[in-house]
Amino acid sequence: MDPHSDLIPRIAGGDKQALAALYRALERPVFRFIRSRLNDPFESADILHDVFIEVWRSAGRFEGRSKVQTWIMGIAYRKVIDAHRKRGRVDVTDDIPDMADDTDTEACIAASEEAVQVRQCLETLKPDHRSAISLAFYDDMTYGEIAEVTGVPEGTVKTRVFHAKKLLMRCLEGFGLRAKGVAT
Amino acid sequence: MTRDEISALLPFLANGTLEGDEKAQVEAALAEDTVLRDELRALRAIRATMQDEAEFTPGEMGLARLMRGVEAETAVAAAPRRTWIWQAAAAVLLAVAVGQAALTWRAPAPGGYELAGAGEAALSVAVAPGVSEEAFRALLLDAGVAIVGGPSALGLYDLAPSEGTDLAAARAALEASPLIDSVQSPED
Repeated sequence: MDPHSDLIPRIAGGDKQALAALYRALERPVFRFIRSRLNDPFESADILHDVFIEVWRSAGRFEGRSKVQTWIMGIAYRKVIDAHRKRGRVDVTDDIPDMADDTDTEACIAASEEAVQVRQCLETLKPDHRSAISLAFYDDMTYGEIAEVTGVPEGTVKTRVFHAKKLLMRCLEGFGLRAKGVAT
Repeated sequence: MTRDEISALLPFLANGTLEGDEKAQVEAALAEDTVLRDELRALRAIRATMQDEAEFTPGEMGLARLMRGVEAETAVAAAPRRTWIWQAAAAVLLAVAVGQAALTWRAPAPGGYELAGAGEAALSVAVAPGVSEEAFRALLLDAGVAIVGGPSALGLYDLAPSEGTDLAAARAALEASPLIDSVQSPED
């Protein structure tokens, strides 16, 4: 049962309190997702505002084929893409360099306990990889839901998450090894 | 399922969304592969840190901003309806004025008596944006004036003082009101 589904018809009917309730429930995950893609809290706040204005305008067109949060994340995703286009940033490929499959797990786990290091490593990922792993770990979405949000096939989501976690773990391993004084 | 396919599903085991046959296959592979188990431990640690991360969000300030945006959208959407209401109100008042004129024609007052200024525009006003018909009506009653014409294409209303109303006082009341953008008389 979608906990937010009853709010959408009320919003479509012009109920501002219902919009406020939806905002309070989903502001944090939506903002966090936008922020994870833009690295700019002020621009992220602007896009969060635009997302909920669009929810207000288009609630009447929501068909209930996905969860409300998935629908709203999809709106946020498209607005982030628009923001990247305006900045002139293009993201068209999923290619990543070949990597050996021998990550030092303990170094990675040690580094992953520091939020700053996790954030720094997330920021090294390409936008599509970052979106995929952010939706999986910040928002606990299924790969099917991530596919809905990002508008790509489920296989593409799995590939992106696969690459994202490899790159993330490799980055964190570097932090962990440096902390242990091991050259990388 | 290949090892890479298993590895690709590990993040979804870590976030607790993997179900059914896929979950069973991944768990079976984990039981036999220490590298995959280590990877799952690392992924769970990364997810836990991400979930616990304190993050500033716009919060109530963002909500207040959203509500202002929604109010602005609602005002824009309602504007044509308000115009319709104003036009209807003006049409009713015009009909009343025409009816009154007809009565006056059929039964002229003895001795040539007539209301001072009745039917003649003594003032022309522009109403501030967003003012409701109810508020405008209350202001006109307080000032002792009535609509005798308009709205014009520019949104101006022609007003005349009611019997016993001092025109200068009515004008001062209208000029002092935040509901009115401008007040003019034919002499200005």
